Amino acid sequence: MEAIEDLLEQARQGDAGALSILYNRFLPGIFSYVAMRVPDRATAEDLTSEVFLQMIEGIHQLKARDEPGFAAWLLRIARVAVAGYYRKRERQPVLVPLPGESWEEMQAASLVISSNPAPGDPAVWMETREEWQKVVKAINALTEDQRQVLVGRLILGYDVAAVAKMIGKKANAVKALQFRALKSLQRLLGIQIDSSTLRRVQKEKIQ
Amino acid sequence: MKTLQDRFDEQLEQTRTRTGSDWQYLSGFTRFAPGKEHDLEIENLLILARNLKSARQVKVSPVFARQMERRLLRRFAELRLRKRSTQRSSFSLFRARPVFASILSFCLLLLVFSAGTLAYAAQVSNPANPLYSLKQLEQHLQVSLANDPGTQASLDLQFARERLNTLSTLANRAHGSDYIEALTDFQQQVQTTTSAVNSLPAGSQRQQFGDQLADLQRDAVRALRAFLPELDLSARLATTDTLAFLGERVPRLSSGTLTITLHPDQSATLRLSGANLPSGARLLLDGKLLEVTGTLQNGQLLFIIPNWDGKRHPRSLGVLAPDGTAAQTTAITIVTSNGTSSNNGTNNNGNGNGSNGNGNKPKTTPTPHR
Repeated sequence: MEAIEDLLEQARQGDAGALSILYNRFLPGIFSYVAMRVPDRATAEDLTSEVFLQMIEGIHQLKARDEPGFAAWLLRIARVAVAGYYRKRERQPVLVPLPGESWEEMQAASLVISSNPAPGDPAVWMETREEWQKVVKAINALTEDQRQVLVGRLILGYDVAAVAKMIGKKANAVKALQFRALKSLQRLLGIQIDSSTLRRVQKEKIQ
Repeated sequence: MKTLQDRFDEQLEQTRTRTGSDWQYLSGFTRFAPGKEHDLEIENLLILARNLKSARQVKVSPVFARQMERRLLRRFAELRLRKRSTQRSSFSLFRARPVFASILSFCLLLLVFSAGTLAYAAQVSNPANPLYSLKQLEQHLQVSLANDPGTQASLDLQFARERLNTLSTLANRAHGSDYIEALTDFQQQVQTTTSAVNSLPAGSQRQQFGDQLADLQRDAVRALRAFLPELDLSARLATTDTLAFLGERVPRLSSGTLTITLHPDQSATLRLSGANLPSGARLLLDGKLLEVTGTLQNGQLLFIIPNWDGKRHPRSLGVLAPDGTAAQTTAITIVTSNGTSSNNGTNNNGNGNGSNGNGNKPKTTPTPHR
């Protein structure tokens, strides 16, 4: 795999291939970050498009030369895009969404998660639209550093050192941020599995 | 001992490296055997983390990803084209019209050169520098373009002070002629400033500028007197003139009468007439300092010069006052003990009277020189 540093340089020189690789590499992370912060998929896709369009407009002036720096830059654009979305929404009247592809419809079409979840199974807590709204609300209640750590660690799959570089903090701080972020989410979402449930789930999966 | 945060991170890292970046929901459930309360807490968080990562809501739709990629590449191509055409259009005029390009380049160069020269000229303080006259022209223009008399007076004061500062850099024997030129400039500038201040209407502004001018003149007197020991004779004479212009009491010579007695001891007597002549002044003969000190008698300075060379006829006589000021005259009358006399030249103010002490006709025609 080509190093991000080289791809960045090639993209700056106008190489569309390099740009395409960069886009595919960072799309999941950026989309996840945005999707975790807005209530519906259409908005998440619009804002993600906005982020990548801004990426190609500004890549010539970008000072970052490495992957964490580039990821931090993209996440900064995404944060501004999300903030802009919420600012606009405050000024606009509430609209009733037209029928279309909603989270529920997506869920119905999906076969990834167990189709017959047991009651109290933690697997289902984010399966309904209402539940996902709670998740979005909880994610938005985190600090920006906590959100970026979660995206870096869980979605982009970076190690602690890379995330530390990305957000400009020390490794221990990153560990503390990710731990506190998940604890806060757990508290805000009211999720707690007891040991018996955990054993039951484990047992089911083994069978 | 590892903290809970460290242990959680360790477990998360193990899961991540084991399953790669594409870990699936529940894929690691079987790995965690519940036991201690802390383990349960960590497991809870790991489940939450994996649920977040694998939630369908955060997964990119492949259709969107493809459409977006196409859109992005189209836009990228457009931007590249636009950038190239912008670069081309900047130079297309130059390529199409080489004469235009040459003229424009020449004008730009001229502009840059002129601006640079003016900026450099503004820093020049030595009158020997060819750009000094350009600086004076700049200052003159500045004053001319000033829209009110107050601003003009203020600028004149500023330039007068600049010239005084320039003098301090030139007050040494190495810059004799430059110093004299700068001194003349300073004197002219003070005159201009005085006129500008006097032309202001009576009032607080005129009072203010008048006070500033008086301060400048006081500073100038102090500075010029401090320069005197560093100067050669011609620079001292010029400085003495400027001190007189500034209202200082300085020696002025109108004429000198040298009486040579044909005495066995070959001594000569010299009487110098003028104004503000100080007792204790030393004699300057043809610009050279003699170790003879004058005494004041009836308003005249009297010098007795021993061992006078009878054939010697001086071209200039002067005095060096104890305060360092100097005066000189070329209006000299020479009288010998047998009654003959000769008159030679003028005083240092150019107003030699051409007459001698006893009414005899001078031997030579007066020749003014300093």
